Amino acid sequence: MANMINIQMPLWQLLLLLLIPLAAITIMVVWLRRIAYKHSAPEEKRDWSVPPLADGSGASLLHCWDVRCKIVTILVCSFAIASLNHLEPALVAIGVSLIILVIARVSFAKVLLRLLAITGFVCMFLVVMPFSVPTHNGDTVLVFNGMDWLGFNLRGLRLAATIAAKAIAIAVLMEPLLSTAPLPVTLHGLSRLGAPEMVGQMVLLSYRYLHVFRHEAQRMSSGMQVRGFRKRTDLETLRAVGNFIGMLFVRSFERTERVFDAMRARGYRGRFPEPAELRLRTRDLLLAVVWLTAGAALIAYDRIAW
Amino acid sequence: MHEPLRPIQKPTLDASLFSMRRVFYRYPDDIQALSCIDLDIAGGDRIALVGQNGSGKTTLIKQLCGLLLPTAGEVLYKGEQLKGEHLDRNRLEIGLLFQDPDDQLFSHTLLDDTAFGPRHQGFSRQDAEQTARKSLQRVNLLDMAYKAPHNLSFGQKKRAALAGLLAMQPNVLLLDEPTSNLDPHQEEVFLNLLRDFSGTLICISHDLIFLYELCDRAVVLDRGRIQHDYTLRELVSQRQSLREHGLDFSFRLVHTASSCDLAQSKPLDELHRTPTLPDVSEGKSLVFLRDYHYRYPDGTLALHGINLSIQDGERISIVGENGAGKTTLLSCLLGLRQGLGEFHFAGRLMTRRWRKTLWRRVGMVFQDCADQLFCPSVREEITFGLHQLGYSRDESRKRLTQVLSMVCLEGFEERVPLHLSGGERKRLALACVLAMEPKLLILDEPTAGLDPQGEELLLDILCNLDVTLLLVSHDMFFVNKLTRRTLVMHRGRILEDMPTHAFLQDERLGNLNELSYTYRRRSRSAILTMQHEHEHSHLHQHLHTHQHRHGEVEHDHFHEHVHEHIHRFAHIHPEDEKNHDHMPRRYHDHDHPGHEVEDHDHDHDHPEHENDTDDHH
Repeated sequence: MANMINIQMPLWQLLLLLLIPLAAITIMVVWLRRIAYKHSAPEEKRDWSVPPLADGSGASLLHCWDVRCKIVTILVCSFAIASLNHLEPALVAIGVSLIILVIARVSFAKVLLRLLAITGFVCMFLVVMPFSVPTHNGDTVLVFNGMDWLGFNLRGLRLAATIAAKAIAIAVLMEPLLSTAPLPVTLHGLSRLGAPEMVGQMVLLSYRYLHVFRHEAQRMSSGMQVRGFRKRTDLETLRAVGNFIGMLFVRSFERTERVFDAMRARGYRGRFPEPAELRLRTRDLLLAVVWLTAGAALIAYDRIAW
Repeated sequence: MHEPLRPIQKPTLDASLFSMRRVFYRYPDDIQALSCIDLDIAGGDRIALVGQNGSGKTTLIKQLCGLLLPTAGEVLYKGEQLKGEHLDRNRLEIGLLFQDPDDQLFSHTLLDDTAFGPRHQGFSRQDAEQTARKSLQRVNLLDMAYKAPHNLSFGQKKRAALAGLLAMQPNVLLLDEPTSNLDPHQEEVFLNLLRDFSGTLICISHDLIFLYELCDRAVVLDRGRIQHDYTLRELVSQRQSLREHGLDFSFRLVHTASSCDLAQSKPLDELHRTPTLPDVSEGKSLVFLRDYHYRYPDGTLALHGINLSIQDGERISIVGENGAGKTTLLSCLLGLRQGLGEFHFAGRLMTRRWRKTLWRRVGMVFQDCADQLFCPSVREEITFGLHQLGYSRDESRKRLTQVLSMVCLEGFEERVPLHLSGGERKRLALACVLAMEPKLLILDEPTAGLDPQGEELLLDILCNLDVTLLLVSHDMFFVNKLTRRTLVMHRGRILEDMPTHAFLQDERLGNLNELSYTYRRRSRSAILTMQHEHEHSHLHQHLHTHQHRHGEVEHDHFHEHVHEHIHRFAHIHPEDEKNHDHMPRRYHDHDHPGHEVEDHDHDHDHPEHENDTDDHH
C-alpha cells in the first residue's frame, strides 16, 4: 500500500471517466450492429442450388483444410491465447486472428455479430475490474474527491483490457472454424477426433430445431399477449409463465417423439450417414504445424519479452 | 380415376400387400386406439382412411409402417409379420408423410434430408445425392437443394418432406393430412405429385373432395374400429353413412347464397373495385389503414401500401397464397407488430401507447389453436383473458357459462385443454376470445385440421355471432358462408377489394393469385350429382336409335319399345327444394349397356351400333 501511487481527482472526472467510454462503446455498438444487420440480410437472389461454400469465398486455404486438423489447431491456439498474461501479446493475437479472418474470406458481418454478442460481457470487465482488483505495490490508483474506497486502479483497467483482447481474439477465431465447413462436417470431424457421436447428433438436431422451437415460443407468446398478458412482478405472472414453459416443454417433448419416429421410418438406427469423406493430407498437417508454431511463438513472446 | 359404382374387390390373403388380422392397440395411458381391425390392402390400392378426429387413423398407419406394434393380433406385410428383421428389411419400402413437415425435415439442408433415406438404403453418397436431386426436381425444389429447412415456406416444406420419401422409391406411401394448411395452388401441385405415384397409397384426410380426386377405396374408422370398407364413390354418395360417422361434408356442396350474407344486389361490374385510398373522415371506420407498410428486421417487405377500411359489423375475408402477407397484416391489426403508415382503430390513431391496448378490442383465433391454449383447465383458459380485463370472480363465472354454451362445450370446465379433440380445442380457443367480447374478431384458417362435423358445428357458431369479423382462409366455402366482402392479397399488397360473391364468380382472380379452385369445383359437382343419383327399376318405354340394315338398305331411325331394367338416375333439385320426397322426374337419360344384344323386333346385323345413351320415359 505504501508504494501505491495515488492521484487525487475531482468527482466529476469520475463521471467523465465512466460516461465517455460507455457512450463511445454504445455508439460504436449501435453503428456496428447496423452494419452487421445490413450485411447479413438474406440475399433474395442467392442461388441455393449450389453449396454455400462452393462460391468464390469458399475456396480459401481454410475451406480446403481437413476439418480435424482445423478443429485441433484452432482449439489449441484458442487455449494458447487464453493463457496470455499481457495486453500487448493479446493485441498481437487479435491481429493474427484478423489476418486469419482475411485468409479465410468469411463474412465480416457475421464476425461483427459474434463480437457484439460478447460486448456486454467485455464491458462488464472494463467497468468493474478497475474498481475491484486488489491493490499491489506500484499500482497507480485514481482517487476521486478524497474517497479512498472508490479507487480506480489502472492495473485493473489493463487487466480487464487484456481479458477483453483475448476474448475478442478467440471470438474472431471461431468464425473461420465454424464458417469454413458445413456444421454436419465439423461435427463429424469432432466425432472422428473421439467426441461421442451422439453428442454431435444432438448438437445438429438442436441447431435444426432451435428455430422451430423459437417460432413456437413466439407464437405462444403472441397468443398470451393478445389475451392481455403483460409481465408484472406478481404471482399471476409467475403462474402464467410457468404454464407457458410447461406447455412449451410438453410440445417440445411431443415433437421429439415425432421427429424420432420420422427418423426411424426412414431407416435411422442410431447413426447419421457420414456427411463427408475425410482425408488427411500432408499439406493439412503442414498447415497445422505452421499455425501451432505461431501460437507457440505468441506464448514465448508473452512469457519472455514481458 | 373413378369407375362406375361397383363393390370393392377385396384382395385375397395371397394377393395382399398388407394384412391386418384382429389387430388391437392400446396406448400406455390405457387409451384403446384400435379394436379388432381386419384389413387387407393389395399392391396398387389407393385408400382413403377417413374418420373423425381421434378415431384411430394415425395409429393405424403407424401400425402399417411398424412404428407401433399391435398389443394383440398381427400385421402382415408381404405375407410375413411386420416386426424384427422383416420390419428392418422392409421399412424403407414404406414411406410415411407426417402432418407437420418440420417433424420430418431434420437435416441441415434439403439435399441432406432427401438423401437421408437412400443413404440408409445402402446407396453410396454420390448415388444417394443423385437420387435426392432427381426427387427434388420432381417436387420442383432443386433450386433450393442447399437451403436449410427452416428457411422454407410451409408448402415448400411439405413438398420437401414428400421428396425425402420419393427418393426412397417406396412401394407404399402413407400420408397423414398431406394438404392441411396448404393454399389451393400448393394443394393442386401436391395432388398432381401424388397422382403420379404408382405404388400403394393410403391417405388420411378430412378433405373428402381431395380424397375423391386421389383415391378409389375408402376405409371408415370410428372409435378404433373399421365401420366400412367400400369404394370412395359409395362413401361420398351416401349421405346417411357420412353423417353417422361425422364425415358429412355435403353442407359444403350446396350452393346457396351465404346464410350470413346480406350482399347488396348491385351489378357485378359496379361491385368490382380495386382498393383506393380510403378517407378516414368518410365514415366511422372500426379499422382504418392508409399507406401502411411493414418490413421484417431482415429487410423483407411484408406489407406494401395497404389501404383498408373496415366498418363496424362488417364481415370480411382475406384470401391469398401462402406468404402473401395475410398473417403479417393480422399481427399489425393485433398490435403485435408496428409498421409505417396510418392505423386508426375506432377513430383513434394507434400510436405505440395505444397499440398496446388493442388486445382489449381485437381478438384472434390462431390457425394452430395449441398456440393460444396454455392453461391446465378449460375454466382457467377462458378466465385468463377476463382476469386481465379486470373482471370480478362472479362476472368471470357468468361469462364462462355463457361462452361455453355458445361454443357447445357445456360441462367442459374442468377438462384439460391439451386432452381435447381438435374440434373442441378450436371451439375452446374461440370461446377464450369471445369471452373478452372483442369488437373485431379475427379467424386465421379456422377449418384447419377439423373433421367435417367439427366444421359444420363451427360454421353454425360463427354464423350466429354478432361481431365484426375478419376471416383469413383458403376455404372458399367458409369465405362464402361467413363474409360479404373479400380482400385479395398478393405479395404484401391488397390487389382487390370486392364483394365475396363477385370474387367467387371471378375466374380471373384464381389465376392472378395462384389460387386454383378448378379441381375442387369439378369434384364438388361430380359428388353432388352422385348424391342425387338413385338406382331404381321400373317398366319404362325406351326410345333409341342406331344404324342397322334392312336387307340391302342401311339406315338409322328411332325405335320404341317397353321393358324393365335397373338403371341409375341423377337429378338436381330446384333451388328451393331440399328434401328427397319429390316424385320421380318423367323423363330421364340413363346408360343402357348391352342393349344391342337384347331381343328386338328387328335384326341387328350392322356392326356399328350407337345406342350407348338412350332416352327413356
